[in-house]
Amino acid sequence: MKTFEEKWTAWLDGQLTGKELAEFETSLPDKTAAEVEKQESLKLGAFLKEHLAVAPAMTNEEFFHHQLRGQIAQDSAPTANPVERPQARETWWSIGRLLWTGAASLAIFCVCTYYVIQEKSTGGQSTYLTQIINARVDPVVSPNATISMFETKESRVTVLWVDGLQSLPSEYAAK
Amino acid sequence: MFRRAFVLPLAVLILALASEAPAQASESVWSGLVMANNVPEPTPIPAELNGLEGTLKQLFGYNQFQVIGQSRKTLKTGEEDWLATSKYFSLHVDSKAAKRSSYVLNLQLFQEQKLLLETKAKLSKSSPLVIKGPQVGDGQLVLLVVIE
Repeated sequence: MKTFEEKWTAWLDGQLTGKELAEFETSLPDKTAAEVEKQESLKLGAFLKEHLAVAPAMTNEEFFHHQLRGQIAQDSAPTANPVERPQARETWWSIGRLLWTGAASLAIFCVCTYYVIQEKSTGGQSTYLTQIINARVDPVVSPNATISMFETKESRVTVLWVDGLQSLPSEYAAK
Repeated sequence: MFRRAFVLPLAVLILALASEAPAQASESVWSGLVMANNVPEPTPIPAELNGLEGTLKQLFGYNQFQVIGQSRKTLKTGEEDWLATSKYFSLHVDSKAAKRSSYVLNLQLFQEQKLLLETKAKLSKSSPLVIKGPQVGDGQLVLLVVIE
């Protein structure tokens, strides 16, 4: 026993014949409106057949569907561990950083060079030892005085050795 | 990111400037007039000369060293002057701050009003300056300048 919808579909498709067709058309409440609807349905069918025939045939339909299902499953899955997702690796040696690193290295080199030159300019004497820059005695008071300088390496003492100063009596040793 | 590139050169510059800065003016300089002589029973060496006893004995050949005049000056700016005096001698010191914990000193030894000796020295920490002065009686006048 067909339902009304099944008979309606068959009528639209022109598949009802004979007694069945007559009975169905009799059962229609407004046959004119039904005829108009049937014509429109036929027009739509013809239109779809015409345009669907133009669409290209899919040669890898199964693969396409598999990829599509996989993508849907991936998108709908919860992002439980984002760390595992592959990330694009960023390299540290960008042009800007290379330039800055070069500038920093040059600055360090200049500072080191400056200190090396400065060390040499001290005349070979260690800057950690006391250095005698100059010394003099009054030639009128001590005409025979001689001056020499030296360092005792073990105790790091710098000595100004003055010979020939006028000797003084012992009372000059008073506090 | 680029800020990191500034850190290293900045640190180098700060270190350079710090080492170039004048000596810290929180040190004190001891200046002494010391009489050295030989005696049968030498008195113990003064505390200020403790670390130099061996060197002084080796240099001058005396067994007793007595301080006859001294001055201890705490340097605040590094540019100060002071006087260490005994009854007949005086040591005038005029300091100028220099680089790397050192001071440039102008030293003048006077016998009363008479200038006996004048010298200019760059005094470094842990490197004392010893000056041989005139012979006094059977002993020797020795001048010492030490950064403490």
